[in-house]
Amino acid sequence: MKKYRKLHQGTEIANGTTTLLNVVKALGEYLTSEEDGVRTKGVDFLSSVLKLCPSERLNRQSARVLTKFYCSKLEDFDTIIPALKGLATLTTLPTSTEEDVPEILKAVFSHVKMKAIVQNVRFMVYTIIDTLMSRHREVLKSMNDSFISQYVALAEGEKDPRNLLVAFAIARVILIEFDISKFVQSLFDITFCYFPIMFRPPPNDPYGITTEDLRLALRQCLCATPHFGPLAIPEFLEKLQAGSPATKQDTLETMSICFPVYGSSLARENARKLWNALKLEIFQPTDPVTEAKALTTTQDLVKTIYSSGQDSPSEEIEGLAKDACEECINILRQPERSQAKPAIKILCAFMSTTPSISRYTLSQTVPHLIKLFTSPDNISARPSILLLLSDLIAAARDSKSKSEDSESALTPYKDEVIGILASGLKTSSSRQPALACLLGMVSTKNLLSNEELGFIVHNVNEILEADTETINDASSPAIKLLSSISTLAPHQIREQTLPLLFSSLPDRAPGRDAVTDRVKSWRVLSALNALCSEPELFETFVIRLLTKLDLLCFPAVLDDDKEPTAAYAHSILTTIYQTVLVKADDGHVDLVKYIESLVPRLFNLFVYSAFVYEGNSIANDTRLVAVGGQIITVVVRSLAQQRQESYASVLFSAYMDGELKKIAEGQQSIPASVDFKPFSELVTPVQRNLITLFSAGIIGLRKEVKIPVPNLSEFLATILSWSLSGTDNDLQREAGWQIISSMCNKHGDDASAFLQANLDQFWPDQIANPDVAPSTRQQALKAWIWISKALLTANRSLSSQYTNRLFEVFGDERINWVAAKGFGNTVSANHVLTKQNHAVIKLLYAQKFINQLLPRIMDGAKDSSRPVEQVAYLVALTSLISTVPKALYVHKMTELIPLLIRGLDLPENAIRSKVIDTFLAVAGGDSPDKSLVSEHAASLVDTMLKNSSVKEMPSVKVRTSALKYLGILPHIVRSDILRPLKARVIKDLGVALDDPKRSVRQEAVDARTNWFKFDA
Amino acid sequence: MPGEIYNPNPTIFRTESPSSSSRLAQKRSLWINDDESTDVEENDEIEAIDQDEIYDLIRHIYDPEHPNTLEELRVVSAPQITVSGNLIKVEFTPTVPHCGMSTMIGLTIRVRLMRSLPSRFKVDIVVKPGSHESEHAVNKQLNDKERVAAALENPLLLKTLEESLDGINQRNPKD
Repeated sequence: MKKYRKLHQGTEIANGTTTLLNVVKALGEYLTSEEDGVRTKGVDFLSSVLKLCPSERLNRQSARVLTKFYCSKLEDFDTIIPALKGLATLTTLPTSTEEDVPEILKAVFSHVKMKAIVQNVRFMVYTIIDTLMSRHREVLKSMNDSFISQYVALAEGEKDPRNLLVAFAIARVILIEFDISKFVQSLFDITFCYFPIMFRPPPNDPYGITTEDLRLALRQCLCATPHFGPLAIPEFLEKLQAGSPATKQDTLETMSICFPVYGSSLARENARKLWNALKLEIFQPTDPVTEAKALTTTQDLVKTIYSSGQDSPSEEIEGLAKDACEECINILRQPERSQAKPAIKILCAFMSTTPSISRYTLSQTVPHLIKLFTSPDNISARPSILLLLSDLIAAARDSKSKSEDSESALTPYKDEVIGILASGLKTSSSRQPALACLLGMVSTKNLLSNEELGFIVHNVNEILEADTETINDASSPAIKLLSSISTLAPHQIREQTLPLLFSSLPDRAPGRDAVTDRVKSWRVLSALNALCSEPELFETFVIRLLTKLDLLCFPAVLDDDKEPTAAYAHSILTTIYQTVLVKADDGHVDLVKYIESLVPRLFNLFVYSAFVYEGNSIANDTRLVAVGGQIITVVVRSLAQQRQESYASVLFSAYMDGELKKIAEGQQSIPASVDFKPFSELVTPVQRNLITLFSAGIIGLRKEVKIPVPNLSEFLATILSWSLSGTDNDLQREAGWQIISSMCNKHGDDASAFLQANLDQFWPDQIANPDVAPSTRQQALKAWIWISKALLTANRSLSSQYTNRLFEVFGDERINWVAAKGFGNTVSANHVLTKQNHAVIKLLYAQKFINQLLPRIMDGAKDSSRPVEQVAYLVALTSLISTVPKALYVHKMTELIPLLIRGLDLPENAIRSKVIDTFLAVAGGDSPDKSLVSEHAASLVDTMLKNSSVKEMPSVKVRTSALKYLGILPHIVRSDILRPLKARVIKDLGVALDDPKRSVRQEAVDARTNWFKFDA
Repeated sequence: MPGEIYNPNPTIFRTESPSSSSRLAQKRSLWINDDESTDVEENDEIEAIDQDEIYDLIRHIYDPEHPNTLEELRVVSAPQITVSGNLIKVEFTPTVPHCGMSTMIGLTIRVRLMRSLPSRFKVDIVVKPGSHESEHAVNKQLNDKERVAAALENPLLLKTLEESLDGINQRNPKD
């Protein structure tokens, strides 16, 4: 009722039917009543109305009167609260002017006893002062001394975080803008007494003030004036010494901000004391975070001390930087000891202070390390010396500030450094750190000349060459180094390294038992892959490897055992594929031209092998053909539309009309007599495999490229029927289905007759028809799923008709598992319908699919009235869930978990493994206080233990995943739920500790450790 | 724990990366990148627990005195471990002969192995002969079942031990 009246009055004033004056008049006797309670209510009523009243309705005259009124009410104990409320509103109004300020302040300072009022009332006091500070700062400043002294008295002892935030803001203004010379100590007292902030917000804090808010606000006060410096430093030192890690970190951060404000002379005076304290945090760190912050603070200290000095290159460094450098360098005399590491960290930190300190540090440290390295007493410490040097080189590189083109600070020392590194490379123990140094130097701008890069390449080659046995140890950092050089000076690599690598690739495959040789050739290939993506190098790479392939596929002498050769050729093709892929990802434009060279050479190799070569060429191996296809796809998809059009037309004329000439070209010439008809029934399986290359050339075509066939639907129908009746193996079938899938995705409209005919005839005749052989029906289903997938990704209208058909065969045990798994296959990503292959991929297609189907599938999986179908639904569910991101189903998790647990009983290891992986995926982001799996913990533990024992579970993958999940459980489920299971889990995991496979044992150890640890 | 530091500035050694060469050499396949395609289901070859595996279990234990691992300080090394049948012998080298932490280190190694090895193994833990001034006493303490059990009843000891083992899972490189 009362509230309503206030509101009513507020509106009436707003629309002019009454005035505030009338309200005051009407309130008259209430405002002055003898009765305390009535007076309080009266003033409160007025303040509430004032708050609702629009500011323009209050003229200067009324503001003045109200100010006087409220100030007088502050004297009256019973009206303090409502009067402050009124003033809090009044001071914000434009008609409240500076004229009122002295009176308000006088009344507040003399009558309000902060200790006697509660937090939210004190908040009003701070708000009033804060408002005056922002609106009438000049008036406050004119009062300077009297204002500060009274404010300090008022604010002293405040404890509430919300009030402190305002108080800190007020204090910062005073510290910066007022003359505080007489009040340094008292202002210091009312701010530093809060340092460090120990406040922890209560749970469900309505104001949401964090520790960090307070820290930052206070820090702004502490660093507001240089006057605080002499008082603050002892304070900081004490907190740093005695504090918890959190306090130390807060202190370090605060010091970093304060040093520049407190000024260089103060920093210089206290340098020793500060350095001693900071040093302790670096040499005996409590934790890595504190250590890192101490390093930063040291940098800021050094920057502050040396900020005033001119930055002339010849100046002498005196004081802290010199002392600290000497101290650290002294420690470095024992480079292999543990203290050397923090010492080098400090020196590295100096690199990012001022240019002159950075130069000074290098001039002291680098010669020192070089001297250590060359001293005969230190041979065993050389690896440690180079490791320290590599840190310094990296720090010098990363410190290089603004001046982009200036020479590197390391330049004066580079000759000597390269000298010791070249010698360091020669010994195996110091090789890795030497490589790290070189990598640091190579990645420093404006440091090394072309000749020096050449020299480095030369030296690295020597280790590659000499140390064939231990190539593995150095190879990856060495190759990384060469690879960074390959972008700066490719010719150095081409001229020096490539000949070496190619010559160490054998012309004949390592024998079946020559494991070391085989591993070595793999290493060389992976090195080539890492080095040869630059255009200049790639060209050589392709030519050399294709030549090698020709030699392997068409040898002068035939090997009895062909498999090693086939595997070797396969590894070469794989390397080409990987490099081509890197180039495509990096958008190299030179890739396009390889449609003229690499691709025809590959076609030639495979066609010649299958159609001309006498004896079974190793290139006929399906694995080789498959990789060959992958290379072709990457090159074709990188072409522009026009070039794709012309390529598609020669590709089709080759496969449809036998016009080979335009797609194949190479060393082995294919006679014109060859009848190239891979789709014909008369060709051999090996020849038929080449359909894979056809498919590979098609799936990367853009959707704008017209398929050069008279009628697409007829073409697709032919391919489909060929895939089911004319093929010999999975490679061929998949090739056919990939062609169909890619075309249905990109050319759905042209294929509509084909798509409709499938629904009308193909499904009933080939799939739903129980008279057809189950194996054929399964293949037909797989083709069906490929088409569904194409339609779903492109979001075509027939899509759901295709998927819904799958449910129809759930009752048929001969094919229902294939159909059920189809749900996962339909929605999962594959390598054919990708963005890179220019497939049509609609946004959120997977989400739609899940939303449509998940409820139905879940219901089916719960319905036990038809057991055969129920299992199929369960298989569908597991396949679906395990292929999509968890965001799509996580909202159904509570319902899904019992079903997934049942999935772990399905008699197929691949499914179980996928289900556990799903649990693992769901576990990410789960935490004990709101775990999704808590209530199922016992049954999960049960089934995971069962799946982790080698007696019950032959699959290594399942055992590994199950153990991984057991290891995660203590992190995601509350300990009181797991406690009753602990003893049993620890006992049963003992079995997995004795697993025959090492990788499984390792998981078991980790899982068991976690179970020991929780609740210990 | 007592405030005395037995060795304030120990030598740090470079750690060896797990040798990939032996692992690749063990790979019997002729084909590169063969890992994903063939699940090892039918492969019932037994990989026995060996020296390296035990070393992997203990190399990442932290020294109670330094932020370094036993491997970095060369307190343990692979050649100092022998496995014969169900008997395992682990020898370790204290960084200084008067190191008062030796028993603690040995105890930590014992607990780690107790938790990580199948119960069929008997484990002997000894300091390297001649590397410690009270070698005999340390060895006795470490290999006496009852003394070990008694030590593990001590909450302060247990706390130090758990700290040395803290995060040991994360430090194990998996691949």
